[in-house]
Amino acid sequence: MTAKSKTMQAFQGGKTIKPGGVYWMRYIIPALLFYVVFMAYPMLDSVRLSLYEGTAGERAFVGFANYVRLFTDEVVSKRFWNAFGNNWIFFAYHMILQNALGITFAAILTNRTMKGRQFYQTLIFIPCTVAVLVTGYLFKMMMNPQWSKAPLEKIGLGFMVHSPSGWLGDPGTALSAVSLVSVWQWVGIPTMMFVAAFQGIDDDLIEAASIEGATPWQQFTRIRIPLIIPVIGMVAIMTFVSNFNAFDVVFAMETLDGAPNYSTDLIGTLFYRYGVAGQHPVGIPEPGVGSAISTSIFCMLLCGVIPVLVKTQGKE
Amino acid sequence: MKKLLAIVLAAVMFVLPCMAMADELTMGSWRTDDVEQVSALLAKYEELTGVKIVFQPTVSTQYNATLRQQLDGGIGPDLFYSRTFSTGAELSENGFNVVCNDIPGVKDNFSDSALGGFIDKDGNIFAVPFAAVSHFVYYNKAIFAENNIEVPTTFEDFLAVCQQLKDAGIQPLSNGIAANWDILECVLCGMIPNYITTEERLAYESGERKLNDETFVRVLSDFAKLVPYLPEAFASIDNDNANVMFGLGQSAMLIDGSWSYGTLAGDDYDIDVGFFPIPAPAGMTQGFSLHPDFGIAGNAASAHPEEVKAFLQWLASVEGATEAAKVIPDGFLPLINADVAPEGSIIAAMNAVGEGKPSDMRFVWNMMALYTPMVDQLNAICRGEQTPEGAADAINALWEAELAK
Amino acid sequence: MAKEKKTRSLKIMNMHIPYHIIMILWSFIAMFPMWFLFVNTFKVKKEIYTNFFGLPSKWTLQNYKALMASSDFFVYFRNSFLVVVISLFMILFVGSLAAFALAHWRSKTSRVIYFFFVIGMMLPIKIATIRLIQIMKTLGTLNTLFSLYPVYIAMGLPTAVFILTEFIHGLPGELYEAGYMDGAGRFRIYYQIVIPLIRPALATVAIYNLVPIWNDLWFPLIFITKENQKTVLLAVTRLQGQYSTDWPKVLTILAMSALPVITLYLLMSKQFVKGLTAGAVKG
Repeated sequence: MTAKSKTMQAFQGGKTIKPGGVYWMRYIIPALLFYVVFMAYPMLDSVRLSLYEGTAGERAFVGFANYVRLFTDEVVSKRFWNAFGNNWIFFAYHMILQNALGITFAAILTNRTMKGRQFYQTLIFIPCTVAVLVTGYLFKMMMNPQWSKAPLEKIGLGFMVHSPSGWLGDPGTALSAVSLVSVWQWVGIPTMMFVAAFQGIDDDLIEAASIEGATPWQQFTRIRIPLIIPVIGMVAIMTFVSNFNAFDVVFAMETLDGAPNYSTDLIGTLFYRYGVAGQHPVGIPEPGVGSAISTSIFCMLLCGVIPVLVKTQGKE
Repeated sequence: MKKLLAIVLAAVMFVLPCMAMADELTMGSWRTDDVEQVSALLAKYEELTGVKIVFQPTVSTQYNATLRQQLDGGIGPDLFYSRTFSTGAELSENGFNVVCNDIPGVKDNFSDSALGGFIDKDGNIFAVPFAAVSHFVYYNKAIFAENNIEVPTTFEDFLAVCQQLKDAGIQPLSNGIAANWDILECVLCGMIPNYITTEERLAYESGERKLNDETFVRVLSDFAKLVPYLPEAFASIDNDNANVMFGLGQSAMLIDGSWSYGTLAGDDYDIDVGFFPIPAPAGMTQGFSLHPDFGIAGNAASAHPEEVKAFLQWLASVEGATEAAKVIPDGFLPLINADVAPEGSIIAAMNAVGEGKPSDMRFVWNMMALYTPMVDQLNAICRGEQTPEGAADAINALWEAELAK
Repeated sequence: MAKEKKTRSLKIMNMHIPYHIIMILWSFIAMFPMWFLFVNTFKVKKEIYTNFFGLPSKWTLQNYKALMASSDFFVYFRNSFLVVVISLFMILFVGSLAAFALAHWRSKTSRVIYFFFVIGMMLPIKIATIRLIQIMKTLGTLNTLFSLYPVYIAMGLPTAVFILTEFIHGLPGELYEAGYMDGAGRFRIYYQIVIPLIRPALATVAIYNLVPIWNDLWFPLIFITKENQKTVLLAVTRLQGQYSTDWPKVLTILAMSALPVITLYLLMSKQFVKGLTAGAVKG
């Protein structure tokens, strides 16, 4: 107990109504320390790399040449804009489908009178726990006509096979297939967040509305949804940001090249190919170009995130 | 909260004692498959010299990237498997490799063509050559016997065999395009030595010959003739799938690298496997594709430079190479100029196939800018979206642009 | 009479039949690939291709036996577990402290700091690998789990700060005022009032970070080469050959490696439920 009072003394500002920055910094510094040393500094330093050329040791300063190359070189810029476009489709699937499912599930799972909520929520979450390496492989097997056509036709589900190329082998369907697998696997995460948000709503409000005669649907659209707008904004931002860094699912299902014919190439795979691993089989990366890719995307993400942040989180 | 903290503290205590570092050398590799074999070789070396080297392979898809980061960060392994040509050379040009020019045996025990894959821009030999690979048509002996099929010796015969199998309702080939590499590296590059000699390849590289000339269009047209015999779902079939299909007897043939022999003939499958070189068209000389695949390099920044050099010297000697040949996995062919293959081994049998035939490395390996475009063009041919002529024109245009740079 | 009717209809309503239908439907979609995962761990390498969908023609335990036989896997599991638990604990602890401050200290500086944290979500951390190697080398933590903790903690902080600040900010202000009236210091308010109230958000942050940390391969690949410091996923990649992979074995190990994650998840969602009842009290 004495330890407690000592801690309190250490935080002297605690009793003033509006303590100043010096006081609050004490809470922030531990996090800031980890963040700056192991993330912000190394990353900002790597952003600097986008102005350099070379793979190791002595790097040569080239100014904005990497950016010029990224946006004007015929091959590189074609790949970049292709991956950029694919990424928007990939994002749209998550934003629309995954988050809508998440809200629906969360609304259902926060019914206090419903039984088995914990059970359902656990089932929804289970796919998140399995390594992408495995889920990718399983879906590859399921969608490969070579292995799945005959058994599925036997049970009358032949229409689920995209013959002859397979969903993952057809440039027209591969990106959708990969996106849906990703939605399937990660829908548990937004569900969790929305559940947390709905649970934070004061019950009195819902009760009051229900006494006033509001139907459950009205309660949902007029009270519960508006009250969790900040969380919806937050989830939207996180979906946006994480999908522009997505990598694993394509790597596991469609090779680093975003096969077939670059139709599943995302910014994440493009960055990895140019900046980290280098194009197979040569494997000589261009960290400068890779860094230029992620810096450009970073700037675009900022442009997308700031308005949402201001709109949904800015309110006092 | 306190309980959790106690658990965390206990856990930290649990980890701390594991931090001691032993004084031994490490060897990086992408051959996760060979832990047993290479460890045996290294144990043999330890027996001879008392120097302990630990084999630490990394999953092959991540090897290039992680090795580079480790070398750049100064924490690379003491010895490491080196890729050939530009991939391996580039690390050396950045000063990461021990220069092997003066290591006794390197210049004497390897031919110029073997060393050719291991020389960087500055003329430094950056690794001791270790193994080459070839490409074959594997065939299911039982299926061939049932259908009275002889091993074809010309490309025309080969196509006839494919057609005969197809008519009999048997899947002729199991190759696919989903992996984005084997269709070029194994199939096309396996065919090319039948059409293009080493000198001619050099002429293509220098731009003296055009990549849309008659010969190259011929190669691509012959490749296109194989497409009808690929599995229906070829767009979804990667290299692993192709091997499994053949191994399960679902296809009569598979065009793949020599390295696959071990798995195909191994315990996983019950088929009787034979192999023959991809046949040359009638009237043309049968070639043999022999591509330097990897060498062993030393880390220039190693804390044990003497031991590293000693090991490389041993590998470059006939004694060392003989020991290595005993454990080298099936389908990897030693590069040393000595008959080190154990008698009756599959290495000897594969070498015998190549005996007396003009051999060459994979066609694109000195024109790496063409690798990805060629894969793309081959995929397009398979999908029926591109003609051989169109592909040749596209490839030629790219190479001309590259040479003009 | 009318009242009775109303309770009955309420009873039926409270069974939530359409909701159950939706949830059962999705549970099926979520679980059927898991079913394939499960049955395929009892097959031999070949059969996974000839009979992917069906039950094994001959059940084999060889994959599980191989897993049990290699005692190292206990070590790998322990390492992965340590990495996850310690990193998550630190993320939640320092993250919630910072979020508490950022939610209450309203000034230009605090907004800049908040924003500084949030932008950390927008760059791929792989880009920083070389610098991180050098930092770890200086700290002498390479080849130990201590090279992984700080990276994962730093990786988790942006989301932690982002989510927790939002949730703390959403808490009703009267709660603190009551605290002041009692003469409580802010630190005590933090751990006696705020922490219990944001349990659901803490659980969310933990689970959000749990998965990527457990499944990260990149940093262990680069930082760790010593056997006794390897994580599960790193060890599994040993089974992936250059050209051929023993998939049933990989599936077995990775199915097993999901169990600790599910356990952690269940533990944390228990916290979650506790937080919910605490929330109910406030209402």
